This record gives sequence, C-alpha cells and structure tokens, in this order.
Amino acid sequence: MIDYLVTILLIAGIYAIFALGLNLEWGFTGLLNFGHVGFMAVGAYTTVLLSMNNGVPLLLSVLAGMVLAGLLGAFLGIPTLKLRADYLAIVTIGFSEILRYLLLNEEWLTNGPIGLCGFPRPFQDLVPIQSYNLFFLVVVLSVLVIIYSGIELLIRSPWGRVLKSIRENEEIATSLGKHVFSYKVQSLALGSMIAALAGSLLAFYLQYINPRNFMPIETFYAWIIVVLGGSGNNKGVLLGAVLFWGFFSGSRFAQEYLPLSPTQVGSMRVMFIGLMLIILMMFRPQGILGKKEELSLER
Amino acid sequence: MAIEQVVINGMVLGCIIALSAIGLTVTYRILNFANFAHGDFVTLGAYIAFLFSAILGLNFLAACALAIAAAALFSVGLDCLIWKPMRSKGASSTALMILSIGLAICLRNLIVFVFTPDIERFPLPVKEGMTLGGVVITPYQVAVTAVAVVLMFAVHYLLRKTSIGLAMRALSDNMDLARVSGIDVDRVVRYTWATGMALAAAAGILYGLITNINPNMGWFMVIPIFAAVILGGIGNPYGAMMGGIIIGLSQELSTLILPSEYKIAVSFFIMIVVLLVKPKGLMGGG
Repeated sequence: MIDYLVTILLIAGIYAIFALGLNLEWGFTGLLNFGHVGFMAVGAYTTVLLSMNNGVPLLLSVLAGMVLAGLLGAFLGIPTLKLRADYLAIVTIGFSEILRYLLLNEEWLTNGPIGLCGFPRPFQDLVPIQSYNLFFLVVVLSVLVIIYSGIELLIRSPWGRVLKSIRENEEIATSLGKHVFSYKVQSLALGSMIAALAGSLLAFYLQYINPRNFMPIETFYAWIIVVLGGSGNNKGVLLGAVLFWGFFSGSRFAQEYLPLSPTQVGSMRVMFIGLMLIILMMFRPQGILGKKEELSLER
Repeated sequence: MAIEQVVINGMVLGCIIALSAIGLTVTYRILNFANFAHGDFVTLGAYIAFLFSAILGLNFLAACALAIAAAALFSVGLDCLIWKPMRSKGASSTALMILSIGLAICLRNLIVFVFTPDIERFPLPVKEGMTLGGVVITPYQVAVTAVAVVLMFAVHYLLRKTSIGLAMRALSDNMDLARVSGIDVDRVVRYTWATGMALAAAAGILYGLITNINPNMGWFMVIPIFAAVILGGIGNPYGAMMGGIIIGLSQELSTLILPSEYKIAVSFFIMIVVLLVKPKGLMGGG
C-alpha cells in the first residue's frame, strides 16, 4: 500500500513539474503549446543517451537535455510567435509527433520502438534497490520545490509582470515599449527546459524509455492538470497533479466492477479526461483555484 | 517505384486531404478557431459507414450516404450542445481550441470503446489494379478521385450559386456586418458545421477505401490537413483544395528520396516554410 502511494506521488510529482512548465507558457504568458511532451522526450532521450553511452555525468546530461529543449522551444517560437496564437498550437503538435517518428525510426540512435534501458540512475550505488523509489520521491519533491519557488520568484519579478501583461493584452505591452516577441520566446524556451527536466526524472523513474511513453496524450495530461487546478496558479497545478493522478490511478480499479474488456476500460478512462476538459472549459475555465478575471478566455 | 506511379498515388491522397481541409478551413474562418477535433471527425465518418455496412449489413453506397448524413447531423448536435453556448458566452478562440482537444480525445476513445482499436476494412471485394502505361491504378483509386472531384465542384456550387453559400461567404468576411444585414448567423453556422463535417466524413470513407480504417487514422491526418489549410490560406476553400493536392503530392514524392515514415514530416516542413515566408498562404486568407 505504501509502495503504491509512493509511486502515485512520484508520478504526480514528475507531472507537476512538467505541468508547471506548461503553466508558465499558457497560464502566465497565454501561449498555446500543444506539443509539450516533445520537450519531455528531448530531455529523457538526451539524458539517457549521454549518460549511458558516453559516460557523461548524470547532472550534466540532465542539463544538456534542458539546454537542447530550450533551444528547440526558441527555434519553434521563431516562425510562430509573431503570428496568431493558433499557429504555435499547430506547429508544436506537429513537432511532438515528428520527434516521435524520429525516435521510432532512427534505430541506430534510439533503438526504435524497443527503446532504451539499463542506463544509470542518480546515486544508484549508494541507495538500496528496495528503498530506491522512496529515495527518488525525495529527489523529485526537492526538484519540485526548487522549480515551484523559482517560477513563483520569476513571475513576481518585473520579467514575470511583463509576461502577464502579454497574456492580458499584447498591444498594451507593446505600446509600453516591451519587446513582446522576445518575452514570448523566452517563456516558451524556459517552459520547454522545465519539461525536459521532468523528462529526465521520468526516465530515471521508469528505468526504461521508448517512444510510447511520449504519445501526444501526455501533453494533454499536463493540460488537464493545469486547467483543473487553475491556469496561472502554481498551487493549482500541484493540486491538479495530485487530483489527476489520484483519479487516473484509482480508475484502474474500475476494471473489477465493470463487465468490460481492459481496452474498453482504458479508453473509457481517457474519454473521461477529454470530457473533463470539455466540461471545465464550458463551465469553469478558471479551474479550482484560478481567477476568472485573470484569464483571457473571453473576447 | 516509377515517378508516374508516385504522382498518381499523391494525387489520390491529395484529393482526400483536400476534402478534409475544405471542411476545416471554412469552420476555421467562420468560427475563428482551429478545430483540433477535425481529424477525429474524419475517423468518425469512416466508422459510421463501417457500422452501417459491415455490422448492420446495408448496401455499401447506401451506408456511405447515411454515414455522411448522420455525421452532418452529429455536427449540428455538437453546435447546439457545445459551440453555440460557447459563442453566446463570447469564448475566445484559445478557449475553443482547448475545448476541441477535449472533444478530439473523447471521440477517438469513444470509437476505441465501441469498435476496439484494431484495424478494420470495409466489406468490399479486393479489386485488381489496371495497368496503364506502366502505372497501376486500382478501381478504388479511380472512384476516390472521381468522388472527390465531384464533391469539390459541389462545394464550389454551394458557395457561389446558393443563398446559404452567399451567407457563409458574408459571415467569413465580417460576422457583425452579416448579422446586421439580417442573416440568421446561427443557422448559417449550423450549415457550415454540417458542410465541413460531411466533407470530413466523405474523406474518411474515401481514405478507408484505399487503405483501411483505425481509430487513429484521422489524428495522423491532422498535420497534413493543417498544412494544406495554411498553405492555401486560412478560410479559403479553393486554397485548401490546392493545398491538399500539393501536400498529397509532396508527401508521396518524398518517398523517392526519404523513408516513407517521414511523409508527415514533409507536410510539417512545408507548413513551417509557409509560416516563415508567406504566413497568409498562397491564395490569401485569415
């Protein structure tokens, strides 16, 4: 039972970090990133490939993944962030899918659909294997605290106030002499770096990665976490992550009570997530903790 | 493969992408948001036709006609249930896009729930291809192209020669102006959804004719469809037709030099180049 609770908290913690990156982009800057999982995959694969084959120290491999994801985020922002908001959504969704095809097909590098395993994990020689998950939970929660406090500090800084002003009204931010485009690129790059960090942690937790871990639906798990908790509210993201994974893991037990095949139960659980997103957007777009007046969801 | 063969395959695929892209581009312009559920509308059309033909045993053509009508009705139902309340609340396009993602997830998993995630085929005999000057063309490919061309002409007729088409064009130019000149906006929007959905359903059925159907088929078409819409200029149905054909051709031609797994990457690359060089698309729009 304790083990089960630890795994739920672990995965909720990793997805909370992942969703905090999305919240920076969407909740605070108003950017629609529908390919967040792509940056998570960049983090996971870069860290694993560098540390496994080339003996690069783990911390350095994690940082390398973050830097690469940040550069990719900026790179995708350049053709799209001067245009209407929807172009970023289309381009990021395309990016995450094409990255997945690359991971599937460039077998010389990624081992294709079989994926990679047997890579080093932090402090694996020092911590006994039975208590590794518990140890890793402490690591994940510490990273979560650092990222959470870092973002909170940033959004209270002058830099963060510019982001919010872009979310509220781009024209006003521009008229005050702010270089809106450059702030948007920075926000997207930083959010992508956080996604990459979550990706490295996910790889350490799973001990085995393959392209199926990075399906487009993972992006929308982050979206439901942010929208449920409250866009633009980091506490809401933490709450959303715990509620979402609590529900998502708990609903697995529905199998025992329903006369349905495992595939049907699986599809029903994901269908419920989609339904929840529809209902929230229709009736409570500010989520549980968000402020309605802070969201630019109405014309 | 001979280049002529690749061009034929590309044209056939292009027709299907074009049909789906017309549906997306008209709703994109009139309702002012990118509907990410459009790919799953394509899937839904194919599965309703599968339900009527393979499971209920109707004649295939009747099943297709019924499926297209049912899909159009479904989209009107969605308008009443979701889009109209959102419009009257004055929801922004970003809110609608997030909502459409929820709808896409729902529809795809509903299809998996009802029909299983397995690949299915329409109950039709396998037809031998005809060889014409070294190029193999199956009767289904001919049928797909013919139906797609007829439907594209039908869209042209609808937009240019009917009063509802005129109202749709007025709405896409300026919704407020259309409203004050006495156009029943909600009615025209319902017709727009129905048209877009009928074309998506037709595209799904045609795609099933030349390959197979599976719950992810529409999702995997989303990138080429959006690339066609952006290439042709958002809101321009003629641009979407041209964009669809260009994207279909480029995807198939790319197989001459790239592994076929990267077909989708080709449409993505075209989309990025258009956004950098000419974001309004080749034929103007949005």
